[in-house]
Amino acid sequence: MDQQQLRNFEARCIQEEQPFCTAACPIHIDVRPFMACIAKGDMRGARRVLDRTMPFADIVGRICDQSCRTACKRREIDSPLAIGSLERYCVSTVPAVIKPPKLPGKGGSVAVIGSGLSAMTAALDLARKGRNSLILTCDEAIGGTLRTYAEELLPAQALATAVETLDFYGVSIQFGCSLTNEFFQTIRQDHDAVFLDRDCADLHGLAVDCAHPDPFTLGIGREGCFAGGGCLENSYSVIKQVEDGRRAALTIERYLQQVSLTAQREREGACPTRMYTVTTGIQSQQEVLPADQQAGFTAAEAVQEAARCIQCQCMECVKECTFLQEFHDYPKQLVRKIYNNEAIVQGTRSANRMINSCSLCGQCQVVCPNDIPVADVCLASRRSMVEKSTMPPSAHDFPLQDMEFSQSDFFAMTRHQPGSDSSRFLFYPGCQLAGSAPQAVEQTYLHLTQQLSGGVGLMFGCCGIPAHWAGRQELFAKTMQDFLFEIEEMGNPIIITACSSCYSIFKEFAPNLSLRSLWQILEDIDLPEQRGLIPQQPMAIYDPCTARHEPEIRDSVRRLTKKLGFSIEEHPLSGKLADCCGYGGLMQFANPELGGKTARKKGQRSVHDGLAYCSMCRDNLASSGKRIAHLLDYLFPAADPEDPALRRNPGFSRRHENRARLKQRLLTTLWHEESDMTPEYKKIELFITPLIMELLNSRHILEDDIQKVIFQAEQTGRRLVDPESGHFLASYKPVRVTYWVEYEPGMQGFIIHNAYSHRMSLPGDVK
Amino acid sequence: MSNFSFIAETDWRCACCNKNLQASKVNVEYMGSVFNVELMVCPDCGFVLIPEDLALGKMLQVEQLLEDK
Ligand code: SF4
Ligand code: SF4
Ligand SMILES: [Zn+2]
Repeated sequence: MDQQQLRNFEARCIQEEQPFCTAACPIHIDVRPFMACIAKGDMRGARRVLDRTMPFADIVGRICDQSCRTACKRREIDSPLAIGSLERYCVSTVPAVIKPPKLPGKGGSVAVIGSGLSAMTAALDLARKGRNSLILTCDEAIGGTLRTYAEELLPAQALATAVETLDFYGVSIQFGCSLTNEFFQTIRQDHDAVFLDRDCADLHGLAVDCAHPDPFTLGIGREGCFAGGGCLENSYSVIKQVEDGRRAALTIERYLQQVSLTAQREREGACPTRMYTVTTGIQSQQEVLPADQQAGFTAAEAVQEAARCIQCQCMECVKECTFLQEFHDYPKQLVRKIYNNEAIVQGTRSANRMINSCSLCGQCQVVCPNDIPVADVCLASRRSMVEKSTMPPSAHDFPLQDMEFSQSDFFAMTRHQPGSDSSRFLFYPGCQLAGSAPQAVEQTYLHLTQQLSGGVGLMFGCCGIPAHWAGRQELFAKTMQDFLFEIEEMGNPIIITACSSCYSIFKEFAPNLSLRSLWQILEDIDLPEQRGLIPQQPMAIYDPCTARHEPEIRDSVRRLTKKLGFSIEEHPLSGKLADCCGYGGLMQFANPELGGKTARKKGQRSVHDGLAYCSMCRDNLASSGKRIAHLLDYLFPAADPEDPALRRNPGFSRRHENRARLKQRLLTTLWHEESDMTPEYKKIELFITPLIMELLNSRHILEDDIQKVIFQAEQTGRRLVDPESGHFLASYKPVRVTYWVEYEPGMQGFIIHNAYSHRMSLPGDVK
Repeated sequence: MSNFSFIAETDWRCACCNKNLQASKVNVEYMGSVFNVELMVCPDCGFVLIPEDLALGKMLQVEQLLEDK
């Protein structure tokens, strides 16, 4: 990722945009924390939020005309927050908590003519920036129009406090000045810049035109002179005074620094925001009005009203995604972390695990108002890690070995239909379905051969998606190349995939193939006669994440279930919003706990039994405790009448076994080919309790690995023994991982007591 | 992990040599980093014992650390 790409991604995530209220506020008060503080009764905290941004909070907090209020998102639900009244409550019950710092003096003197709120704000802001500022007024007291407010609305004490504040920051005030032209000339000569507050009756006497200041800079076309504030169309807006005063101070500061007066000022004053907040589903709660209008809010009322704030933010993607939740990130932060991770030359790449934990499922991109492709960023980063050899070897070793197995002679094969030498179709069940439900694969194939004419070939293998997800571009490209070669050899048949992952891979990387999903085909042919019992109770369809962009397939599945007589209750996170089951992006290998969480979350989307049409979804959700069946379980039921929704996840070893046996069986029964390629070590008989089996699965240790360990230990005699129990302990390193097995010779084979592994090499590792 | 000692009484004996294991310095290696650690080893044939708690504890930690370097 280069800087430019980073900036592009960052700009698309709007989570850091201002909420609607803050954007609409001309001085951008941080309303969310203000509301949050009040809601939890922390009034001092709320006051602190105001003190940070609001000049003369004792005045403005009481009488602001709250232009933010109409922007409040809550208006879409019931009524906007009473932002102004809450500020009033806050400043009238809590005195100032912090005094913002005053920067060291840096010279430059500014004269502020007039003493309204605009003049006060400009003088205060400039003084805080370290400029000498002086207020010159014809009046006898400060405040301008503010002085006309009734005591109940604006107590005189608030103005007295303002005078103290100005004094504290070193602003001097000259009262009773006579604003003549000569006076103005002298003032202009003696100071570097002048601000004229139009909330001052005597300005008319001056030969300066203050009526039309530039809206951006408040310049009035006279060197170093600026003007603002006052009544506009006879209406006096408190916050407008503050806005102009602040804007004038910023302009004058730029003017004194001799930099552009206009560059990058779009965000000053009320500004648009790209914030996106969904309000559907939020309970209506009527505005809390003070019981005593005159007295305003009581503490309890204020707390209640502030609690209505929904703390506007986007987080649409994070709301659904376990991965983003796990790493406490929204994509803008995540992309920055990925960028930084890539930039590390020496040191710990702490984002590796995060990058490898994304399921690459693409759900976030669908829910995001700006279609941020988090998956693309994570995948690109994985690819660059592989290229730079910084990919942690343990992250994807196991699934890549699984893929290697599926592509080896143990499973991979391609045949025309028995008795035929050409194929109009080619059934590609995929490695995971064959590993999970071999009998369903066999029956489906037989059914297809009976129903479709022109020859239905069969191809076993792995589509290469693990390599794709792992960022292993070379390996993946080779897999695709080999696959395409075989397809051509077969005479370019129509490929029928049972797995949405295979389908998505072929569609993306071999767009010229004729590709159909099994579900589309089944829709058009007769269904098998011997079907399983369709449950009476409603079931929820669990779409796989890889069918997100395949509405036709999803529709076919639904029409099929209808034809079969299922009663389907859809859940909201189906279709293009489908969650991943934890397998996607190899999440469950790089981050097993998160994989488990993700599967559980998907399972919980519906209270009904699940109906899946991806075997990984089926098995992972089953492991998470969900009652879930595969659609093929009903179309081609197993001989034993077990409830398909209770079928266990076969686990990794059984998957290998199932694939290898399926191949051997079909070769023998359909093609009458003999094929015993069982290596010696596979003849080691094992006895493994279900508890130990579970341990092996969670530790990613295959029966195959255990057989290798025992085989070589028994052959060489190199093993440890515990004389007390008679158990042996031996180790073996087939490739990169050293496996340790504690075992005991038994009647039905070797009894396995424990197994674990590590990657560190020991001297004289047995290979 | 260097200068660490992982020696602990063990019931495991070398079945091959019929010997008790003894503490000994061993070089273990991962991703180009070598650590000299003390482990329980067969004095005759040099069979090194990596107990489960070490493999799944300290060793795994160090492996993961090195993988992110
Ligand atoms: S609900 Fe709260 S955060 Fe959202 S706009 Fe209203 S005051 Fe601001
Ligand atoms: S959905 Fe996520 S990525 Fe998109 S803008 Fe919102 S927080 Fe950012
Ligand atoms: Zn020995």
